[in-house]
Amino acid sequence: MSARRPMVLVLIAVGLAALAAYPTVGTGYGVRAMLQLFMWIALAGSWNLVSGLTGYVSFGHVAFFGIGSYATAILITRAAWPWLPASLAGGVAAAVLALVIGYPCLRLKGPYFAIAMLGLNEVLRVLVSYFEGLTGGGLGLSLPTLQATLPIYYVMGATAAAVTLLTYLILTSRFGLRLMTIREDEIAAEALGIDTFRHKLSALLLSAVGPGIVGGLAARDQGYIEPISVFPLATTITMIVMVLFGGKGTVWGPVLGAAVLFVFQEAVWARFIYLHQLLFGAIIIAVVLLMPRGVLGLLQLKYRLPRTI
Amino acid sequence: MAFLAVEGVRKSFGGVAAVNGVSFALEAGRIYGLIGPNGSGKTTLFNCITGLERLDAGRVTFKGERIDRLRPYRIANRGIGRTFQVIRVFPELTALENLLVVTRGPRVDAERRGRELLELVKLERLAGEYAGNLSYGQQKLVEFVRVLMTDPALILLDEPAAGVNRTLLNDLLAAVARLRDQGRTILLVEHDMKVVMGLCEMVFVLDHGEKIAEGPPGLIQADERVIEAYFGR
Amino acid sequence: MNVVLTPVMIGQVIISGILAGALYAMVALGLALIFGVMRVINIAHGPLLMLGAYGTYFLWQATGVNPYLTLPVTMAALFVLGVLLQRALVFRVVDAPELSSLLLTFGVSIALVNLAQLAFTSDLRAVEFLTASFRLGPFAFSKSRLVAFAVAAAITAGAFVFLQSTRLGKAIRATSQSREVAMVCGIDVQRIHLLTFGLASALAAAGGTLIAVIVAIQPEMGQIWTFKSFLVIVLGGAGNYPGALVGGLLLGLVEQLASLFLTTQLSEAVAYVLLVVVLLIRPSGLLGGRQT
Repeated sequence: MSARRPMVLVLIAVGLAALAAYPTVGTGYGVRAMLQLFMWIALAGSWNLVSGLTGYVSFGHVAFFGIGSYATAILITRAAWPWLPASLAGGVAAAVLALVIGYPCLRLKGPYFAIAMLGLNEVLRVLVSYFEGLTGGGLGLSLPTLQATLPIYYVMGATAAAVTLLTYLILTSRFGLRLMTIREDEIAAEALGIDTFRHKLSALLLSAVGPGIVGGLAARDQGYIEPISVFPLATTITMIVMVLFGGKGTVWGPVLGAAVLFVFQEAVWARFIYLHQLLFGAIIIAVVLLMPRGVLGLLQLKYRLPRTI
Repeated sequence: MAFLAVEGVRKSFGGVAAVNGVSFALEAGRIYGLIGPNGSGKTTLFNCITGLERLDAGRVTFKGERIDRLRPYRIANRGIGRTFQVIRVFPELTALENLLVVTRGPRVDAERRGRELLELVKLERLAGEYAGNLSYGQQKLVEFVRVLMTDPALILLDEPAAGVNRTLLNDLLAAVARLRDQGRTILLVEHDMKVVMGLCEMVFVLDHGEKIAEGPPGLIQADERVIEAYFGR
Repeated sequence: MNVVLTPVMIGQVIISGILAGALYAMVALGLALIFGVMRVINIAHGPLLMLGAYGTYFLWQATGVNPYLTLPVTMAALFVLGVLLQRALVFRVVDAPELSSLLLTFGVSIALVNLAQLAFTSDLRAVEFLTASFRLGPFAFSKSRLVAFAVAAAITAGAFVFLQSTRLGKAIRATSQSREVAMVCGIDVQRIHLLTFGLASALAAAGGTLIAVIVAIQPEMGQIWTFKSFLVIVLGGAGNYPGALVGGLLLGLVEQLASLFLTTQLSEAVAYVLLVVVLLIRPSGLLGGRQT
């Protein structure tokens, strides 16, 4: 493995350099598309951190995206923060939400947690609409106009890279192994002295920050948010599909899943926009039944690759 | 003071008592056996001691401290390790990773110790294999040495001999005896009477959730109630 | 939040709560059956209910028949669909880790909602029938809710009689107690699974038909019902089916009570908080303390 390592690093460096240089040659549409792709990589990678590693399925992960959007938008409109610190604060807000939600909900066993998370973003959407004074209610919040696509491109890209790097670091650490023991056999993990609750909470926390930041960046980029646009179940579904397709519990699975599905989405399905969810539903069913480990998981097992692929 | 004291432990499921007022005490540095017919409450008792089940009544003290209200991981961290009757290795982790999960401190040291333990059960060549791909007996051994990684003072073994072939079994029993010689205490549930009689210094017998006998293996074998529990009715 | 509570208001809340509760109990019983027998949480339960509602709407529109008379049709149709789903998809994940069945039924749920959007559009539709309410003393009763209560109570009672005293019902209960024992007793477990999924879907369909007359119909109306049904099971506690009845009534009452103080939107948040709190107090939830 170590012989191949420098080559992998070189490849990654070249890839990152190419992505960094892309805006100088790319079209406006191309840059926007890449920005979107970065967002999905960060979202899918974050979902993978908690659900792919611990096996605790978060059906409400878009809640962290939404809370990040609102925190950022409120800081920008009401407190006149610059967008970068405001987005980072969105990450903090998401982490706080993860603590508040995780503290009670992660005491629940797997399926109960999943259902509790399913209801979460519904509730947040209701609450956001309710506190009109702060959030603008159903009318939403308009951010002051600002042309910042290029810097947002880089920050979004950096967030996606950071989430992927974090996944790599966790997967190669004993902390990561302990997270996986929760997925494999939570009772055995406890009996071995692993504080499973604290580990799950840490995973949820780490998995919330990325979506929080990304949510803030997206809010700045769109210039307008409303409850329906930042808490859609569809976003959670997309994250899940990307990770399942690419391979849960791997480093590059979410990246691959995000890239493949995003390209398909843009190139092919844009013409069948109404079929989106149906296709996603079908992909979930197909992956669960035919390829539960996803593309990379399958390769990993077949060719005995490390899970850091 | 007893090393581990179980006093009046009671646990029922849906009105049926699985463990019904069991008491016993272990002294440090000895090997104990826990026997009884199927469904007599042995595994439930293990679960009560290790915190996987909440007691309905009674108490468990370990080294003088009550542990029966603690979360399982806390009990484990106080020095009680266990194996399971149904194997519970982490199938998608390699054999070595199964041992690494509980370690702290420098990783190099942890890996060295993990490989040593795998060597002890002759699995060193399979260190990088996913535990789920190992044979039943091999998984059993991984689970056994995984417990040792936590360096427990008290080890609860739930049917360590079941499904392990003869040659491995002898190694395993020798290893258990060595653990005792290192000053550890072992409580094992076992069906194979030869194992129990050859290894244990003291045996407790459960039947229908109650302790019906306790004593050295030789005496237990001759006990009327024990014979009745196993063969009568 | 200055609300003055009068005895009449409280009475009204209790009545409305009970009326809603029977409906909750019936729909949740379906989810509880599948969970009890197969240990599968069917996320698609609510979307199946949505299909039942559309069934009633279109039958009513096409024939002008009394919408309540469509009940046997929607129940039969969804029974068949449920059996097909089990036969084609769900049986493959019954013994798989929980993650698989959760994700699979989640996929089914998404697909059903999208199919409904394609086939029926996202327009709100309403079955305009029995819209009046009548008064009894100081209390007002919505007629459609009253009928829903009566029908739901009758169907739930029927389901209990079926589970309690017929051979098939007993086989279902035996299977949910222990599949191994059921097999040993000569019960065809695969067949019981098919039947259970069919029955559960029929219960959801009945819910859909009754709800169609009460609220507006749209493709996304179902998801909240998956969630509420789950809440009902948890509230009722343990894997016992009568628990659904208790849970349904409890949820109905709590929601109505909350609506006194909060907007309707916020009372949905109440249901959520309730779920989390109950799960925390009874972490075993519907497993009822059974472990390993």
